[in-house]
Formats: sequence, structure tokens, C-alpha cells
Amino acid sequence: MVFVAGRIVAAIPVLALVLIIVFLLVRAIPGDPAVVLLGPGATREQVAALRDQLRLDLPAPQQFLEYVAALARGDFGLSLKTGEPVLTEILLRLPATIELTLMAMLVAVVVGVPLGVICATRVNGPLDHLLRLVSLVGVSIPAFLLALLLQLVFASYLGWLPVSGRSSALVTEAPITGFAVLDAILRLDSAGLQSALAHLVLPCAVLAAFLAATLGRYVRNSMLETLGEDFVRTARAKGMTRPRIIYVHALRNALLPAVTILGLKSAEMLGGAILTETIFAWPGIGRYMFEAIRNRDFPVIQGTTLVFALIYVMASLAVDLIHGALDPRVRRRML
Amino acid sequence: MSITRRSLAPAIVLPFVSVKVFAQAANPARTLVVAVPSDAVGLEPGTNRAEPIGSEIILNVFDTLVSWTPPEFNTLEGRLARSWTISPDGRSFEFELREGVLFHDGTALDAAAVKFSLERTRAMNPFAQASFNLINEITVVSPRLVRIVLKEPYPAFMSILAQPQSAIVSPAAVARLGDQFANNPVGTGPFIFRSRQADTNIVLEANAQYFRGAPKLDRLVYRIIPNASTRRLELENGGVDIIQQAGQLAAIPAETIQALRNNRNITIIEVPSQIIRQLEFNNNKTTGPIADIRVRRAITHAIDYDGLLQGIFGNTADRVYGPLTSNSWAFNPRIRDLAPKYDPAQARRLLAEAGIRPGSLTLPLYTFQGALWGAVATFVQANLADVGINVTIQQTEFPALRALHTSGNFDIALDGRQPWYNDPDAHITIGYLSSLADTAMTFRFPKDDALDAQILKAQQTVSMEERKALYFKLQEEILARAPGAFLFSPKLIVFARANIRGLVINSAPPLNEYWGVSKQ
Repeated sequence: MVFVAGRIVAAIPVLALVLIIVFLLVRAIPGDPAVVLLGPGATREQVAALRDQLRLDLPAPQQFLEYVAALARGDFGLSLKTGEPVLTEILLRLPATIELTLMAMLVAVVVGVPLGVICATRVNGPLDHLLRLVSLVGVSIPAFLLALLLQLVFASYLGWLPVSGRSSALVTEAPITGFAVLDAILRLDSAGLQSALAHLVLPCAVLAAFLAATLGRYVRNSMLETLGEDFVRTARAKGMTRPRIIYVHALRNALLPAVTILGLKSAEMLGGAILTETIFAWPGIGRYMFEAIRNRDFPVIQGTTLVFALIYVMASLAVDLIHGALDPRVRRRML
Repeated sequence: MSITRRSLAPAIVLPFVSVKVFAQAANPARTLVVAVPSDAVGLEPGTNRAEPIGSEIILNVFDTLVSWTPPEFNTLEGRLARSWTISPDGRSFEFELREGVLFHDGTALDAAAVKFSLERTRAMNPFAQASFNLINEITVVSPRLVRIVLKEPYPAFMSILAQPQSAIVSPAAVARLGDQFANNPVGTGPFIFRSRQADTNIVLEANAQYFRGAPKLDRLVYRIIPNASTRRLELENGGVDIIQQAGQLAAIPAETIQALRNNRNITIIEVPSQIIRQLEFNNNKTTGPIADIRVRRAITHAIDYDGLLQGIFGNTADRVYGPLTSNSWAFNPRIRDLAPKYDPAQARRLLAEAGIRPGSLTLPLYTFQGALWGAVATFVQANLADVGINVTIQQTEFPALRALHTSGNFDIALDGRQPWYNDPDAHITIGYLSSLADTAMTFRFPKDDALDAQILKAQQTVSMEERKALYFKLQEEILARAPGAFLFSPKLIVFARANIRGLVINSAPPLNEYWGVSKQ
């Protein structure tokens, strides 16, 4: 608990620094949000009136202090574009991104970890070379290219999967939790569940590809190192079976760096899902932030950046706690 | 229905085998799915800022007093108004409303609702104020008769009344919903707003009580799909029924159009627009090479206009010769002859006269991002290089480019205007009136009392024939000033599944109406 509390306190200056940087950066980008909002026909007086209404002409430090004071009350401000509360808009979209990211993480672990183990246990064999090549492609291929290829092959040519979206356009029920899979389960709607899962496949594959490939490489290297350790030699000498050595003893040790990678990359995925969300018309927070940057919607940019930073900090903390759970030496250092 | 472990496992596995079994709450044969690139901003006239998605939804959820008659859109017809009269001085408009028209909440349309709507929009919508501030007074003469009196004559006012910001809202719904009316619009239109999921979809359902007859569709769904390739794939796969040219600043490249033209399941509908795209000069600059009219004229002679239309657009755009498109009722046919011809030799002569040696002039060309703008900019760059002007292309995102434009920090730029109401005033006044020079989408004309007076006179003259003559003269005067090189007018292109019938595509503003649409 002391460890967790200490990490939370340590995160505050990090979040503050992120906020300051973003606050200043968005105001340094050329382009007046009042002009964007009012449209091309706006007169100079109308633009000035809106800037005054939105308090955009106040000195930056004053704007920042007002923003921080509002944040302390849980008020992330109003979207300049829609006038809706930023926090509400973020919470509306966060489930879509979390659902996509969690599924992608699951796929990445299910694919990447065995990939690494297989490569390590058949090192320098044909399978090792093949899987390392696959892994290289997974790491190298740009996300947008993979997305378009998957859409063309599986959605357009084969017709197995939908092209985009979270559900069929013919299904327009209001969300319950915002998690399409969970909502379908709560509605006891098996067809809806099928649809939600089917719509998840392609965007998940795109998002998981890089992480699975990266995980595979880390697990392979870590396994090779672990399999060369003295304790593994001892275990073999004691007559332990190979599967037991690999999956019970070696893998647990080899997973530690992979857990770190998984945690940090997953936090990145939340923000890096922008491309995937855009191509697959996935209504998540990454796409929301991208639109906000195009529209110079300062409160949304600030709010979403803060949320991403918070998620990154929490992911980092979670990684440390998992490390502690896996490795008693780390656990002792935390106490 | 309960989900046991036994049924859950195949329910998870089955999607990977076959996914055509989606939950289908709606009848696909009576549901039209339209793919749009972004979410709507304002769904009702009070908050509408002329962005295309929200505006189109307004045209389908609400009605205006009048509207343009398809397919030519040259004459007005009554929508909520059965008839109207205009006073000889052009300031007073009296509308007799249709009887028996109901809002979606069951309340009746009357003159008080018209007065309420227009006054509300004027009070709360800054984008509408420029035109709505012309209104001096709105009077309820009787439950069926409403009179609008303007501060000064403005014949284009009827066009203003045909566009989405003039749509009539339900006063009872506004009173009941307050601020939430913006998210739950209630009008008289053929479709009723049903639901909205942010960044996902907007669902409208048919209004069976619609005064022109119930729509042939049950449901209209706008699906928000930001990526153009994804929209195209969805159309080809049948996931959506209609996709449109993306926004105001981009267009689907000609090769994509060609690819869809070969698809038997897809119909391509092309309609001339009143959009004008031009290479414009910063006409407010008094120093520098662009301030010299000979340099400006040289640049206009350096552009291969027909080559641009053929090479980049492949017949998906029309030539523009001057300040108005050829399909405008006020277009002056003489402009075709007066417009600068592609003549590189003449361009070089004019530059020499202006003292510009070949290769000595370098200009940054600002334009929007996107493949189309990039292609046009590259073409222009090559044309100007041919006459000895070096051009560096600066593709800039929209807010930054608007900032450059309104601050006057440019010499030449690719830009354009999409008129939001069907009247030459939308191009001429906004484009060339000197008092509007610092707003966006203008040619930044310097103060010119004579020209300004002509523009305002054409705006306010009541007689159609006299207005036409004034606009004829204005076009020649503006062209003589060489404010820019008028390049092209992109056609409005809608891609629809081949079984779609009855689509109405308005040209100004370029919005679709779905009341008459059916799926065969």
C-alpha cells in the first residue's frame, strides 16, 4: 500500500508536466479555433466575440490556472466544437478504445508468448527462422497498410468479416456499458455478440500485430537466456521433464521482461490506436483526439492527453505490481 | 434466452466462420445507410454552422418555408409555405402556410412557430447572423400568415429561407427540452430523429404523418466512417448504400471514380455544383510582385485550364471562367471569351513588361492537404515553371491555412468557395466586397467604393432582370482586375448502390434529400 501510494504521489508532477507542455503546445500551433468553429464566413467581430466568450485572449498563465482550478473540481471544460463536457465525451468513447485494446492485448499474448517459446525451444531450426520472419513482418509493417490489406482480403474479397464499425448499421440499439461485447451479453443477444466479436477481429489483428511480434521476440530472447541458467541445468539433471522445465520454471522467469513490454506497449496502444480507429471507423478516444487536433479543440486535446498520461502512469504501476507478484525479490523490495 | 457455457462457446467461435448473421433489427430493404466522413455538429438550425453532415440531417428532419425545385434548382417551390408575395420594394415577404402540417411531437405548424424559429436562429446562431440580421421584424398576421420585413431590400432572402438555418423548429419541443433540443431535434420533416451514438451513427426514422406523404424508407442511418478507402469498401460490400464526395476540401480522385464506374452494383450520380476553386492572389497587397496586375495576368495566362480538367479531373469537374459558375442564372456568357486563355508566350511577355526575369521570382503556393489539392498544386507549379516562375508548394492543414489567409500572409493560394445559398450574392458579395476582406474565402479586395456600391446595388435590386444585368457587368469588372485564376468547379458526385432510386441532390447547398428514396 505504501509502495502504491508513493507511486501515485510521484505521478502527480509527471501529470502536471504533461499538462503544461500540452497546454502550451496546442496554443503554439497556428490556427484560431474561433475561426474553425465559426466557419469561413465569420466576420472579424464575430471571431473576436467568440474568442472573448471562450476566454482565448486571456494570458496563457491565467488560462492555465483557470483550467487547473476547474480540473480540481473534476471539470475538464467544454468541447469548443460541440459545447459538450469533455469528460463526458471522453467517457463515452473510452470503452470502445479499452475494449479494442484489451482484446488486442489478449490476442498479442496468446499469439506472441507461444511464438517466443516455440522459437526459443527450436532455436535456429526452420520453424524458428520462419516465425522470426513473421515476427519481423509484424513489427515492420505499417498499421495502415496492414489494416487495408486485411480489409481487402477478409472483408472485401472473402466476405468473411465486416469492413468497419462496431456493429451492423442495421442494429442501432443504445449502448448499456459502452462495451459492445458486454452489452450483447447483458442483452442476452447471441446474434449481437457474434456481430460484436466479428467486428473486433480485424482492428484487433492490426493493433495486436506489432505487440505480438514484439512480445514474441522478447520472450524468445528471454527464454533463451533463462534456458541457459544454472537452475535449468540442475532441473534437467534432477530428471525433470522438458515441458515442466519450460512451462513451469523457465517461462515464469522469462516472462518478467515481457510483462514490462506488455504493460508499456499497451498503454501506448491506447493512444496509438488512432490510425486503427480511423480506418475501421471505431469510435474510440484516439480518433476523438485526432479530430480535436484538426479542429483546434483545446479542451479536448488537453483532456485526452491527460487521460492518456494517467493511463500510462497506471499501466506502469500495474507492471510493477505484476512484477512483484511474479518475482518475490521484487515484492520484498516494494515492502 | 439464457446463455449457457454450451451456447456461449459456439457463439464466440461462430463469428470466425460466418458473420453474415448479424442482429438485424431493421429491414434492410427499407433502411438506407449513408456513409459520412465525420460526425454532425449541429442537428438543428439554432446550432448549425453550415457543416455538411448536420445541415443535411436538418434538411431531412425539418422543412423550410421554400425550397428549390429539382432537378434544375432554378425555381423555388413552396414547402411549408403554400404561397407567398413579395412587396414591390423587395423588403416585405408574406407567406401563407399549408394547413394540417404537424411537428413530430404532434403540435401544429403555424405562423407563430415560423416567427419563433427564425428569431431564435437569429439570436443564437452566429453563423446565421450575417443574413438574419437583415430581418427587421417578423409579424404573425394570422395563424396561417406570417410577414417578414427586412431592413433593406435583399432579393436573395428567398434563397436564405431555403437553406438549413432557416428550417422551422417546434416551439413546444424547444420549451420542453431547452438546451437538449440541440441533441433531440423536432421538426416537420419526412424523417424523425431517433438516436445518436457519438462518432458512430445517427438514426432517423420515417415520419408516417409527413404532409407530402410518408417516405418510402423506414429508416435512414448515417454511419460515420472517417477513412475514404473504408467508405468505398463498405459501399462495394453493401455495408452502406450511399457515399458522397468527402467534405468541402477534398474529392475522390478520378481513378477511384473510374474503378467504381466499372462496378455494376454501383451507380455514379454527377451533378454540376456552384463550387468554385481558384488560384487566388492576395489582392490586398500593395507591394511585391503580385501587386502588379501584369504579373497577375501573366499567371492567369500560364495555366493550362483544359489540361487541368482532363489530366487531374477526367471530366469530374467543369471549367470556371469567372466569378460565377456557368450554371448560375446570373452567369454572363461573354465571360467565356473574356476569361484568360492558356498562352504561355503571352505570360512571358507580361512578366518581361513587369520587369520579372525568368527564374527570378519564387512564390510559396499555399493549399489544403489532400491528394486532390496536391495534384492541382503540382500542375500549377509545372505551368508556372514553364513561364519562369518558381513555386514551392506548402500544403497546410485547414486551421493554419485559414489563419494565413485572414492575416494576409500569402501571395498566392489555392482556395475556393462553396455557396451556402442558391444566389449569385453568395459568390459575389462574400468574395469581392472590400469590407469582408479579412474574413476567409474572400479575394481580399482592397477598398473600392465604386465596386462595393455595384455589389450592394446588385444585392438589393428587386427586379430579376436588372439584377442579372448588374451581375453581368460585375463579372466583367471583377475579371478585369485579375483577382485570381478561376480553375474548376467540381461536380457533386454521389456513389449509390444500383438499387437506390429517387435521390435528390441539391447543388447549393450541396445536400441530399431522402424523402423520395426507395430501394428496389
